Amino acid sequence: MKVFGLVAVFVVGLLLLSATQDFPSWGNPRSAASDGEVSSFYIEKTEAVTKVPNMVTAVLADFRGYDTMFETVVIFIAGIGIIAVLRNFEGSDSSIDYDNDDNGAGLLARFTCSLILPFIQIFALYVVAHGHHSPGGGFQGGVMLGASYILLALAFGLSKAKRIFSERRTMIFAVVGIFIYVGWGVLCLLLGGEFLNYSVLDSILPGDAMMARSYSMLVVEIGVAFTVTAIMFSMYSNLSTRGRLSKGL
Amino acid sequence: MTEHFPILILLVPLFGALIVVLLGRERPEQCWVTSLVSLGISSIISLFTIIVVFSDKVQTIRYRMGGWEPEANGYEVGIELRVDILAALVVFAVTFVGFVNTIYSKTRAEAEVQGKVPFFYALIQLLIVGLCGIVMTNDAFNLYVLIEITSLTSYALIAMGNRRAVLSSFNYVIMGTIGASFYLLGVGYLYIKTGTLNIDDIRMVLGNDNLWEHQSIVVAFIFIMLGVWTKMAFFPLHGWLPNAYAYAPSMTGTFMAPLMTKVMVYVMIRVMLWLFGYEFVYSGQHVWKELIIWMSVLAIVAGSLLALARTDIKKMLTYLIVAEVGYMVGGAWLGNVTGQAGAFYHILSDAAMTFCLFIAASIIVLRVGDSRVNAFDNLFRKMPLTMIGFTVGALSMIGLPPTCGFFSKWYLISGGIEAGQWEYVCALIFSSLVNAIIFFRIFERAYFGKIAGVKEDLSPSDSDANPDTGIKEVPWSMLVPLFIASGFVLLLGIMNRTLFEWIQTALEVMNT
Repeated sequence: MKVFGLVAVFVVGLLLLSATQDFPSWGNPRSAASDGEVSSFYIEKTEAVTKVPNMVTAVLADFRGYDTMFETVVIFIAGIGIIAVLRNFEGSDSSIDYDNDDNGAGLLARFTCSLILPFIQIFALYVVAHGHHSPGGGFQGGVMLGASYILLALAFGLSKAKRIFSERRTMIFAVVGIFIYVGWGVLCLLLGGEFLNYSVLDSILPGDAMMARSYSMLVVEIGVAFTVTAIMFSMYSNLSTRGRLSKGL
Repeated sequence: MTEHFPILILLVPLFGALIVVLLGRERPEQCWVTSLVSLGISSIISLFTIIVVFSDKVQTIRYRMGGWEPEANGYEVGIELRVDILAALVVFAVTFVGFVNTIYSKTRAEAEVQGKVPFFYALIQLLIVGLCGIVMTNDAFNLYVLIEITSLTSYALIAMGNRRAVLSSFNYVIMGTIGASFYLLGVGYLYIKTGTLNIDDIRMVLGNDNLWEHQSIVVAFIFIMLGVWTKMAFFPLHGWLPNAYAYAPSMTGTFMAPLMTKVMVYVMIRVMLWLFGYEFVYSGQHVWKELIIWMSVLAIVAGSLLALARTDIKKMLTYLIVAEVGYMVGGAWLGNVTGQAGAFYHILSDAAMTFCLFIAASIIVLRVGDSRVNAFDNLFRKMPLTMIGFTVGALSMIGLPPTCGFFSKWYLISGGIEAGQWEYVCALIFSSLVNAIIFFRIFERAYFGKIAGVKEDLSPSDSDANPDTGIKEVPWSMLVPLFIASGFVLLLGIMNRTLFEWIQTALEVMNT
């Protein structure tokens, strides 16, 4: 079996090497991916048609917003998949009192965390809100926000974190995030455009059709952030307690 | 309104999944109703899509997400959905099997995934969204994202089964990830060389810049094929499939066995004819055509023999899937329209008959309490209705008219003869004979059984059984799906000429 694996790796490696021989040279500005019609369109026209200076976000949330919607769904599936496989609804084993040693970390760690947590959360919200103008966006901001709750659970114990962000609430947040994204697309459908065609929303948003695209990117980024935050925390709490949600690390 | 059908097919189950997750914990009994309604609506819309696509002279619905017209000098800047008659047929198969399978899951869901019913229904609806999206999309990267969705949902759905399911799901995770990575690598190479992700545009750029000879394009094609084959369990890469489908919860197995591999076969045909094109795939300069037909022969023979060696009915059926995948890969690679259309018709007919057989097998295993064929004595007497359904599916698998299995084999064999690939023709006939042995072995036991044992079998101690006749059937929520499935096996067989002509016309365009 090992020999077979080695042969397979060798063959794939040879294929990979042989493919590089007619790749565009490293950093070639005239290669198809950098200089093709589609890339040129993104580079030259993005700001004109969407009023968003960050073209990465424009590609992600507008031109290919349909992909990003499904990427958010992927995160959602990962979260509910972990619950579906791991969650133990029978409750905690009564012979062990988990809550007793669920006090989190020591004094120093708690104090440090209570100092930096607000800043982490503010920065996370900034990353979400500013995603369409500078690097950032819903995924990154959502992960930071989720990490802040994980830090809370690590420092003060999972039961404290769960009082703020209960299991029910995580599920609602995750669903609401997707609902914002998909619902925004459906709103475009209802106003007579294609799915996710933000430009038809200019009738209900201030500004023209280009500005509507810019605002809509913010809206969908917020939706992504909701889902990512909730799923990050849900994954952590399920994985760290073997699905019992009754004891922190 | 009609132009929005493709996206509506996806949105209804997506919202269904969200509602189920949100309301499920408080009202678990409504999960079933919600999924039934959402999948029902979705399959009605896809039925209408078939009608629209067929009545429309254009014959193809193109739906541009976000309303982005091809503004970059005629190249697509957004993501496009593309629904022709082939996609419409497969989407209808996916949504309709999903709908019927939901009926089947009515009583089984609570019994097999206690307490997690909402998550089961959410995942299965998201799986259907993913499969429909794969079939309709016209964007190579979007296809990858949706493959991710179907993979993740199916890992979770399989792992919800018994203890052995977790390990088989883990195997599937490893194999599935490798397959998806190969696909993504191939798409990456195509993007480096062409600068676009739209399937039609990639083919256009490949043609305009005459990139066919380039080694990286050839490697991209090999990688995409390897990825798709891993996902469809083509013979040497089939290792994950039998355990995963046999140990999954029964209502997961009945949905995934008929559809997952077939949708990937559809993707393969799409990649071959639409992404790379006839010239590149079948031209004489590459040795792969002969090689792959031999591989499919190997898959058919090995799948059939491995199935013959099993005594566990579910395992046996999963190995038959491996053989059926060999049929379709071989048919698609024959290089003529008859073979391709046969392979495509087999996607539909195999979905119907695998669905039928898996439901029947799940019912039998549930009632008999033993999945070994040895325990099937006198089943025709004890569960006559179930066995009628099973017989229809089995006859189709063997390939007797008027079931659809006969006609798909007929078209595949004609394609093989047309192409002069006799080894493929022989493999098909061999597989038919092996299937006949496999299923008549079961019929013999189930019909003639141990006559001596009849008295004990019909003893009144069997509390569920009807005391007069000894008939011990299952609730209607399981029998109705079985009869719908076996009805479709016959319907597809009777309609084979019409369907085959539709498929042939759609494929002929790509074969010039």
